[in-house]
Amino acid sequence: MMKRSDTLAASSFLGPATCVVMLVLIAPLVLLARYSLNRFDPTELMIEATTGANYARFFSEAFYWEVMRTTIQVALLVTALCLLLGLPLAWRLSRMTSRWKSPLLLLIILPLFVSSTVRTVGWMILFAKSGVMDTTAATLFGRHIDLMFTPTAVVIGTLSVNLPFMVLTLQTVFDGIDHRLSEAASGLGAPPARAFLRIIWPLALPGVGIAAILCFILGMNAYATPVLLGGPRFQMMAPLLFWEFNTNSNWPFSAALAFILMGTTLLLTTLANTVIPRRYRA
Amino acid sequence: MRDAPKSALTRRGVLAGSTLLAAPAILIGAKAKAAETFILGTWGGDYQRLQMENIEMPIARAQGIESVIDAGDEAPRAAKIMASRRLPRGQMDVACVQAVQAYALAEAGALEEITPAKVPNIVHCQDGLATATFVPHIWSPQILSYSPERVKTPPTSFEDLLDPKYKGRVGFPDANFFYVMMAAGLFAGGSASNFEKAKEIVSKLNTNELRLYPSTDSAGPPFKTGELDVGVMWLARIAMWQNAGIPVAASFPKEGCILYVSGMVVPKNAPNKEAAFKYLNAMLEPAAQLGFAKNMGYLPTVTNAKLTGKVAEQLALPTPPPKLVVPDAAVNSKALPEIADWWKKTIQHT
Repeated sequence: MMKRSDTLAASSFLGPATCVVMLVLIAPLVLLARYSLNRFDPTELMIEATTGANYARFFSEAFYWEVMRTTIQVALLVTALCLLLGLPLAWRLSRMTSRWKSPLLLLIILPLFVSSTVRTVGWMILFAKSGVMDTTAATLFGRHIDLMFTPTAVVIGTLSVNLPFMVLTLQTVFDGIDHRLSEAASGLGAPPARAFLRIIWPLALPGVGIAAILCFILGMNAYATPVLLGGPRFQMMAPLLFWEFNTNSNWPFSAALAFILMGTTLLLTTLANTVIPRRYRA
Repeated sequence: MRDAPKSALTRRGVLAGSTLLAAPAILIGAKAKAAETFILGTWGGDYQRLQMENIEMPIARAQGIESVIDAGDEAPRAAKIMASRRLPRGQMDVACVQAVQAYALAEAGALEEITPAKVPNIVHCQDGLATATFVPHIWSPQILSYSPERVKTPPTSFEDLLDPKYKGRVGFPDANFFYVMMAAGLFAGGSASNFEKAKEIVSKLNTNELRLYPSTDSAGPPFKTGELDVGVMWLARIAMWQNAGIPVAASFPKEGCILYVSGMVVPKNAPNKEAAFKYLNAMLEPAAQLGFAKNMGYLPTVTNAKLTGKVAEQLALPTPPPKLVVPDAAVNSKALPEIADWWKKTIQHT
C-alpha cells in the first residue's frame, strides 16, 4: 500500500502538469462551451444567452448531417487504408534486423518533418490539370486524369498524412511482442499465417486499436487537406467550422460545431473500443 | 623560479570590452526607443510585404513610427475589435478591412472618426470611397476574366458566363462569392443589392458546371492550363497574373463593375492613435499608392497619384468609362450572413 508521503510526492510531481493541462486545454474548452450557448448577432457578434439553438440548428438541418456523414466516411476509409498499408509495413520493419532498419524508419518519419499543408501543396502539383500525373497519364495512356478537387484526392492526401502515425505506432506494438512466441508456435507446427493470427494478432490488437483510433481522430479533424485538395465543394466538419468562424464570424455556432465534432469523435472511438474483445483491450 | 606572467585582464580592459560587446544592444535599444511602435492588423503575404516596402520603410519610419504586425484574416481581426470594443485599451491601432466590414464596425461604434486634422492626406481621396471612419487604401473594379487564346469574342456581360459553350470552363475563387453575387444582382436586377435575382442567376451559373477555387492564387493558373475560359475577378489580379505570364485578359461588363475597396480603420480604443494617424497619412502618400499599383495592380484611392507607363496601360479603364458601382455597405453587412449560408448550402453543396 502506498504511503501518505509517497502520495504527496506523486501529487507534487503531477501538480504542475495538471495545472498546465487545466489552463491550456480545459479552460478554453469551458469558455468555448459557454460561447456555444450564446446567440449570434451580425452587429453585436455574440449576445450572451443560454440557448441550445446552435445545437438544434445542426441536428435539424440535413445539410449538416450530410457534412458529418462525409467526415465520418473519409475518416473510416482513411483508417481502413492506413491499417491495410501500415500493418505489413510495420510488421516487416519490426522484424527487420539488417542495417537498413534505421534508414527505413527515418524514411517513414521524414514526412512528419514537413507540415501537412506543405505536403498537400505537393499533392496539388501532382493532381492538377496538366500536372505531373495528368501529363504522365496523357503521354502513356492517351487519357487525362483529373483528380484535383475530388473525394479521391482528399482520401489520398489524408492517407499520406496519417500513414506515418499508423506505421510508427504499430511498429512499436510489434516490437513489444517477443519474437520467440512466433518461433515457439512454428516449432509446434503452426504455419506462419496461423502463428500470426493466433499468437501475434491477439497480442497486438490493443495497440492496433490505439493506432486506428489515432488515425481516425486525425481523419475526423482534417482541415488543410480537404480544403486544398477537395476544394470548396467538398465539405467536411473542420472546414465547415472554420467557414462559420471566419466568413460569418458566427462564434456561437462554430463553438457548437466544435463540440458536436468532438462529441461524435469521442462517441465513435468509444464504440470502436467495444469492438475489441474485452480480454484484449489495452 | 620565474615570475608568473602578468595577467592581460585589467579592470579598464574589462570595462572597454564590455562596452564594445554591449554596443549593438545599446544602439538597437536607442533606436527602438526612438521609434514609436503601433500595432497594425493586416493580411499576411504580398499585401503585408508591400505595406512594409511602400509605406513603412520609405515613409512611416522616417516619421518615427514602426509597426508591430498582427497578421490574419479580416473576419477574426474585425471580431477582435468587436470583442474588445468596450475595453479601455484595445489590441490594435490600425486595422486593414474592406469597406463592408468597416461599415459594420462603425455601426457598432467601435471606430475612431477620421478628419483632415488627424489625417491631412484624406482630402485627396476620391469621391465616394472614404467614410467618416474608413480611409480607403486600394480599389479595383470587378471584371470578367477570359482567355484571349481560346475566347475570340470577349464576354461583355455576366449573362455571357451562362453560355453553354463555357460549360465547366467558368470559375472564380470561392472567397469572392459575395462580390460575384453583387455582380449577378447588378446584371439581373439592376442593383448590386438585389440578392433574390442574384440567387436565380448564380444558380443557373452553377448548373453550367461552375468551378470554384479554394484561394485567389489558385484561380489564375487554370487559364494557362486550359481548365478555365472565363471567370470573374478583380482587374488588379488580372494585371498580377499577366505579369506572372498567365494568358488572361479583362473585359468590363456593360451592366457595370462592382468595386472592391479595401482600406484601414482606427479602433476607438487604439492604444497609440497618434502613430495610427501618421501611418494612415503615409499610406495615402502618392509614392506609396503608386507602389501598390505597380506591384499589386490596385488603383490609387487618391487623386494626386498619377499612373504612368505599363501600369497605366494595364489598369486603364476603357472609354467611355464603365459604370463603377460602390457596394452599399449598409445593406451588405446585414445580408452577408444569410447569403453566405445560402452559398454554402446551395452553390457549394451540389
